[in-house]
Amino acid sequence: MTTSTIYKKKTPLLFFLIPAFAFMTLFLYYPFVVNIVNSFSKISGLGTAAEGLNTPWYENYLKLFQDPNIVTALKNTLLMMLCTIVFQVGVALVLALLVDRIGRGSQFFRTVYFFPIVISATALGLLFNLIFLYNGGMVNQIAQKFFEVTQFIDWKDEDHYFITMLIPVMWQYVGFYFVIIVTGLNNISSEIYEAAEIDGASGFKRTRFITLPLLRNVLCTCLVLAITGALKVFDLPWVMFGSGIPMDQSWLTGTYMYNQTFIRSDVDYGSTIAVIIVVLGVVISRISNTIFKEKDY
Amino acid sequence: MKKIITLLLVAMMCLSAFVACAAPAAEGEPTAAPATEAPATEAPVSEAPAAPVELNVVTSYGGDDGNRVNYEAGIAAYEAATGNTVLDASATSNEEWKAKVMTDFETGTEPDVLFYFSGVDANALIEGNKLVSIEEIRAEYPDYASNMKDSMLPASPVDGKQYAVPVNGYWEGLFVNKAVLEAAGVAVPGADYTWDQFLADCEKIKTAGFTPVAVSLQEVPHYWFEYTVLNNGSIANHLELPAAADDAVAQKWAAGLADITELYTKGYLPANTLTATDAETCQLMIDGTAAFLIDGSWKVGFFKENAADHLDDYTVTFVPGKGERVATEVISGISMGYYITRKAWDDPAKREAAVKFVEMMTADDIVSTFGATAVTALKNGATPPADADSLSLAAIEMNKGVTGFVGAAQDGLSPEARGDLFANVKNIVTGGMTAQDALASMLTK
Repeated sequence: MTTSTIYKKKTPLLFFLIPAFAFMTLFLYYPFVVNIVNSFSKISGLGTAAEGLNTPWYENYLKLFQDPNIVTALKNTLLMMLCTIVFQVGVALVLALLVDRIGRGSQFFRTVYFFPIVISATALGLLFNLIFLYNGGMVNQIAQKFFEVTQFIDWKDEDHYFITMLIPVMWQYVGFYFVIIVTGLNNISSEIYEAAEIDGASGFKRTRFITLPLLRNVLCTCLVLAITGALKVFDLPWVMFGSGIPMDQSWLTGTYMYNQTFIRSDVDYGSTIAVIIVVLGVVISRISNTIFKEKDY
Repeated sequence: MKKIITLLLVAMMCLSAFVACAAPAAEGEPTAAPATEAPATEAPVSEAPAAPVELNVVTSYGGDDGNRVNYEAGIAAYEAATGNTVLDASATSNEEWKAKVMTDFETGTEPDVLFYFSGVDANALIEGNKLVSIEEIRAEYPDYASNMKDSMLPASPVDGKQYAVPVNGYWEGLFVNKAVLEAAGVAVPGADYTWDQFLADCEKIKTAGFTPVAVSLQEVPHYWFEYTVLNNGSIANHLELPAAADDAVAQKWAAGLADITELYTKGYLPANTLTATDAETCQLMIDGTAAFLIDGSWKVGFFKENAADHLDDYTVTFVPGKGERVATEVISGISMGYYITRKAWDDPAKREAAVKFVEMMTADDIVSTFGATAVTALKNGATPPADADSLSLAAIEMNKGVTGFVGAAQDGLSPEARGDLFANVKNIVTGGMTAQDALASMLTK
């Protein structure tokens, strides 16, 4: 019996791997290294070359520790991460369990809940801008009509901005995790439920002792995706809270980096924030992968 | 046999990668013509009828710009006359748009024709040889911009050469909702309007339940900044920039910012001025809930488009004066124009198309549609339409009464410094930062 040489000799595999590696090097790792260099350089605006190193060369990193906006951005990003776990994955789980119980119409609900995913975040941002508009926005009109509110509520002010930012971000991605969890539920054998039912297990107990343990790996995947995804949230908050409104309170790491680079033309400081985002991303990904490690059954 | 198949697969993959990398340029794009290899005199585009080309154009006539309709009509006329196609990527002019334009040039995806600022904002493009001077274009097309007064074509601060062909200049004035004033029992301001009268009027308007001033301090404090600074100085020294946070110019700027703070603390600005967009606050004027708006000549089109059925409710007049400045001294000038990019100029297929586009869009008849109310560089002047509306007539009347004008001081700031200053206006008015600290921060940029 002969064994294929293609599996014995690894050299041909390199020919397949090298193009992808070269692509990643050129478009990811090289820019990342340049970005690190830029964070130590003096760049006076977009489209202009670096004018040498800053004095001292770590000036931007000193500035980072003194910048209250970066503290706000990190705080909001971490808060967004926690909310993602509770509201995106949590709500998706509840919806998936409910939809799994109903026989007819489950496909309808899958489509309905998944639909926000296919709409661009920019369009959703504009949509929610209108919903939360101060003068004549949908929410304020409802408040005025049914709750006899005389003074409009500024949903983007310092008392309301986070919930106003959170609602559309959470709403957009619930469907994504919902579909993943529903797929996981479908993979659980119905025989286990039947056996549990014969043993007299109630609906709650079946969920607690059969569904959730068997969904563990799926939920771990969802949580890791949600946590790392929260670090990248940008477009929707940018459309709704582009300038850190109100009063620089709504910055996320991504929106603040973009603002500094493309709006304020502080390219080298923007690069410094980008370095922090990458470091934060790597650390948090490692932690979440460790905590939510999948188990083999 | 399997070894041969393996090698074949590898060879095919490598071949496909090379083919992808070496894909020919899209139709109409230059193949390999470095800028230095295409002297201005070597482009016999006029010798044979050029094939229709796609022209990439970026302007600030996007979004809710009042001249968008006129701009689109100009494009349609150009396409009909030349057979060329215009790929328009215009947007609203703001700091984000300016940054995007710069990024496009940096990444080599710049347009063929650009309508952009002629002051320091374009310095990087001119220093990088990304734009073609009018002098160079005229070497091949002698009639280029010949309908314009050369003395009024804006010169670059970099080399003093003229690059941009203006459509029209701008003025900044006080748009007034007359219906709101009438309801509040306030007279429409005239040419002798003072800051104290303005504050008294604001109080009456506020008491009557309206918003006196429509402005988004978090997004566009620019116009109020410009006039409040002018109110604390004069047109003679308005263009001076602070060199230190406590010098005379800085103190003048701080006094201007203090005037804005007064408007904010007295409740004359919209309740959501620190969170609303400019579009939202301008809408207050259309909805009849705000009385005053300082904006530019381009805003006339906004009112025509959005308040067509009650346009007579609006007028435009002088911004109230204070100190040395009388109300009839205005912020005005020519700050934008059409540029032909080096990329288009070096492309034989696009050179003539770009020249024709600029010539058509800056022709007397087209310029007149863009607002006969504005300052113009046209030798023959702009022709107001026979059926000019009441707001346009008011603008023409206001410009007749101008006794002095000066450009915007903020145009002398780098984008970084300007962005920093205006981002801190919200902190100044709420007391989170002093004007002096904000100016010190600006000076570090």
